[in-house]
Formats: sequence, C-alpha cells, structure tokens
Amino acid sequence: MTGVELVGVRAAHGTRDVLRHIDLTVARGELLVVLGPSGAGKSTLLRVIAGLHPVSSGTIGIAGRDVTRLSPGERDVAMVFQSYALFPHLTVADNIAFGHRVRGVRRKHARPIAAKAAEVAGCAHLLDRFPHQLSGGERQRVALARAVVREPAVFLLDEPLSNLDGELRAQTRVELRALHDRVGATTLHVTHSRSEALTLGDRIAVVRDGELEQVGTPDDIWRRPGTEFVATFVGAMNLLPADGPWRADAHRVGVRREAVSLADDGIPARVDRVEVVGEDTYVHLRVAGAHAVVARVATADRPAADSAVHVRVHDRDLHLFDYDGSRI
Amino acid sequence: MSAKDRQLALMLTPYLIGLTALVLVPAVASLGMAFTEYDLIGAARWVGLANFAELATSVPFRAALVNSLVFAAIAVPLRVAAAVGLALLLHRRAPAATTASTAATLPTAVPEIAYGLLWLWLFNPLYGPVNQLLRWGGENGRTAFDTTVPSWLTSPNDARAAIVVMSLFTIGEMLVVLLAARRALPREVHELAALEGATGWTLARRVTLPMLAPVIGLLLLRDTILSFQFSFVPALVVTDGGPPPYSTTYLSLYIYRNAFEYLRYGHAAAATLVMLALTAGAVYLQWRTFHRYRSRYR
Repeated sequence: MTGVELVGVRAAHGTRDVLRHIDLTVARGELLVVLGPSGAGKSTLLRVIAGLHPVSSGTIGIAGRDVTRLSPGERDVAMVFQSYALFPHLTVADNIAFGHRVRGVRRKHARPIAAKAAEVAGCAHLLDRFPHQLSGGERQRVALARAVVREPAVFLLDEPLSNLDGELRAQTRVELRALHDRVGATTLHVTHSRSEALTLGDRIAVVRDGELEQVGTPDDIWRRPGTEFVATFVGAMNLLPADGPWRADAHRVGVRREAVSLADDGIPARVDRVEVVGEDTYVHLRVAGAHAVVARVATADRPAADSAVHVRVHDRDLHLFDYDGSRI
Repeated sequence: MSAKDRQLALMLTPYLIGLTALVLVPAVASLGMAFTEYDLIGAARWVGLANFAELATSVPFRAALVNSLVFAAIAVPLRVAAAVGLALLLHRRAPAATTASTAATLPTAVPEIAYGLLWLWLFNPLYGPVNQLLRWGGENGRTAFDTTVPSWLTSPNDARAAIVVMSLFTIGEMLVVLLAARRALPREVHELAALEGATGWTLARRVTLPMLAPVIGLLLLRDTILSFQFSFVPALVVTDGGPPPYSTTYLSLYIYRNAFEYLRYGHAAAATLVMLALTAGAVYLQWRTFHRYRSRYR
C-alpha cells in the first residue's frame, strides 16, 4: 500500500517551471527525506502534495486515493512549516485543537485530545501558554503536536529543524525519528542538511532544479551516488579527470575524502596544507604533481605540512562518472 | 548639548512651532474662553461656570449631544465593518482587486464639500438616483416591498440615516490600513488553516479577524474620535442641521453655529470642552477593552 504517489507531476511559479516531471512513490509508514539545495523545488513538492500549490499536470495519490483535484482540507495531510505557523492569538491547547474545533468538536472535548497529542510531542506542560511565551524548540514541539493530533495519512515537514540551533537540532532530530517510529505515519521531511537526511530518512530523494536526481536509502545515496551532483551534495568528494592519478574509462573519477589513505607506498603526493578540525584533519594534497585532493585522516596520524607522502585509494572506492555526470 | 541633540532639536522645531501655534495656544485659549462671554467685538467678560450651566439646560445642545452619540454608535461600527469586509475581499494581488480597492478609496479623496453636494443630488427624494433605485420594481412611487421610499432630507430619522450612509463611503484610509495589515499576516498561518479545512467564514472568525484585532481596535478608537468631526460637513451642506428643529445637528455643527454664526465664543468653547471630555471617555473605554484583549497574547 502506498502512502503517497506522484505521477508525472509538474508545477510552475508563473512561467518558471519549479517541478519538471516528478514520479515518486512513498510507502505507507515510510520516512522519506527530500534533500536538495535552496531553490531546488523541495518546498514546492510538499506544497503540491498538500494542495497549497497547483500542479500543471500529473496526478497525486494519498493512501490510494487520487487527491489531485481536492482542496488542502480534504487531503488528510498535516504540515509543519519552517516558521511553525502557530496562531498567535490561541493558547498551545487551542492551537493543537484547532483542526478539531474547526470540524465542530466542542472545546471541552477537544482539550483532552490536544493534551494527549501534546504528551506524544513532549509539550504537555505548555498547554496554557501563548506562542509568544515559548522558545523556538517549544514552538517546534507544539507545531508537531498540532500535526500529530490530526492522525493524518501523511505528515509533511518543511525544514522543521532549521530554526533550531546546534545542540537542540541534533537532539530534536533524534526525537523526531523516535516520534515517527511511535506514530508510524507516512512522512515527507524536507531539508537542505545532508546530515539530517542521512541520519533521519528511511530513504532520501535528492532534488535538483525541479527534478529527482536520485531516490534511495541513505546507504545507497552515500555509497553509490547516481550522479556527480548527488555525490558532491551529500558529502565532500574529490573529483578528478579520468586521466589523472586514478585512471579509468570515464569522464571523471570521484573519491571521498575518507577513502584517500596516506601510506608508505602508492602515488606520490605533497602536503599543501593541514587543517585540523577536532578529531579529524583535512590534508590538502597535490597528487602526482598536479591534482588537488583532500584526504580526511585521524588527527593523531596527520602528516606535517610541506612533507612528501604517498596516497592510496581502494578500487571499490572509486566513483566513475560519465560526461553527463551520471554514474558509470 | 551634543551635535546629535542639536540636530534632533532643529528637526523638531518646525513641528513644535506648528503644534504650539495651531493646537496648544488655541486649546488653552478655548479652555479660558469657556469661562467667559466673548463675541469677538467687545471685551471678554468672566462668567464662571455660567456657560456650562446653560449647556446643561439647553435643548439644542442636548439634541446635538444625543445625535452625536447615536451617530458614533451606529456609523463607526458600520464603517469599520465595511472596511474590514472590503479588505478581506480585496487583499489578494489581482488586477480586479487593485481596481476595486482604488475605487473604494476614491470617495475619500473627494473634497468634503463637493462630496456633500454630490449626495444632496443623490438623495433628492424626487429625482435622486437613490430613491429611483429604491422605487425599482415597485408601483405608485413605492418600493418593491410596497413601503414608502425614505424622504432622506425631510424626515428626521431618514435624514440621520442619510448622514450615516454618506459616511460609509469615506472609508478609504481605513481600507488602506487594513489591506496592509491583512497582507502582513504570515501566509503559512492561513495555509495551515486551509489544511485543517477552515475556509470562508470559519477562517475569518477563527484566524483572520483575531489576528487583525489589534489593528481593528486601533481603527475603532480613531474613528470614534473622528466621528465627532466627519459628521460636520454633511450636516452643514446636505441637511443644514435639520429637518427642524435639530434632527441632524451634531456637536460639531452646534459649536460651529454658536461660534461663527451667533458669535457666542464662550458658549461654543464650553461645548467644545464637553465634546473633548466625551471623546476622551469613549477612547478610554475602548482602549480598556482592547488592551485587555491584546494583553492576552502580546
């Protein structure tokens, strides 16, 4: 059973195509992360599924039902916006119960339902506060509770963590995954953060210029990136010409930084610069006299700047790309 | 005095001179005048509270007071409601909406006297377009529901209604403020409401109006203060304070008559003070209600 199914979806802002031709199936109960740079069309993808942005062509199915022509309110989706979009004039309890109240549930009956959802999202102690009295993290929980309370067919999360800072973001990421596992609803989570995508998703859909570049498990995306773009977007990669230090029948050869190891023998290289980032050190190398390559090594094993070293890369760590950027 | 303070003082000076010459001095003069008898020709004569005592028993003053209060109580909510309704309809950025909001704003730009004269023609009981429209579909000069058409300028209540109707089309400033306020509301909040299935009136009642409430409150306050003034020109030009004796004589017209027609400056100044106190009272009441609401979430 599918949770969400997009077939040939196109969407435009005025005359500019934002989504070009999207075919995407999300399994029921799956957490799919939509990853891409700003302006790639990620948010528009969510808004199209929610019915907040019209499709130019194609169909959208939610839980086996064609919703292409339905209004947002009829699609059975809940959305968490980047700005959280809490109602400033309503208490947390009334914010969470908003959907129920609109559908005619009395306040005294809606309150316990809201309290239960608040419990699930971890904001049960905030029920009587107003949004302006909450911190960013607390607002985020309220927005989540408001989505959870609906028990919708699909959750659409539009960069829900991007307004939180460092520590809190990492913590909330873990909680978000736990919440998903508990609630078990189909979820599309939009982000531009690759670490969020790699840790959170059952699968990742990489979007670029309104098209799906690759859809796969985090492991797939990381280890077998379908294109040069995916390879460099999900993690730093050295891209070298195919007639460089590692020869191959391709246009370009990609090597991840951690796949480059410093050894006693191999291809000779010179250390240009050593960049220590805590436990890791980025060693900027000039390999075979000409090619700039960055290697990630443990700080304890770092070479001295300007020293001569040798580098080695295992064959299975070479990613070969064709002229159009696709994987060979 | 630092250079910054000096600059500030220099920039404020023209405003302060204007404020002093045009507002503060006349206000203090009126305050003093309220306790005198003064006709612009002879010297002012101190009469104590005699002017106020006369006001308390004056029939025309009482009529003007009641007319002004009733006018404010009816016209202000209607004006604000009309402006809010238009703003909710016209806030979208579409060619037709822009044209419509321009059209709705235009009457406000017409000079008041011209606006009054225009309505004098519109309200003419015999050939005026308003009554021609009301007679449409009716027989023997009556409306389609077989009632008599209003005699706008000759029957007391119809004349009062006419002044209210006139005031309903000069809501351009309010409309501009409300359009801006509506457009400033975050889009996501309305999208979220749409996802929850709130549309039309539910959306307006549960989301849009509560979020606009601070602005609406402010406009109610402002319009209440102004209502004592914008009833002046219509009453002077269109109904001349009548039908007799005082059906559409409002405080502003009463003060104008006493000061500039009867040359009773002391009496007019006393009436002005009463109007000021009344305005302050109304503003205080509204501010309290509004403040209580606002403090709930801001």
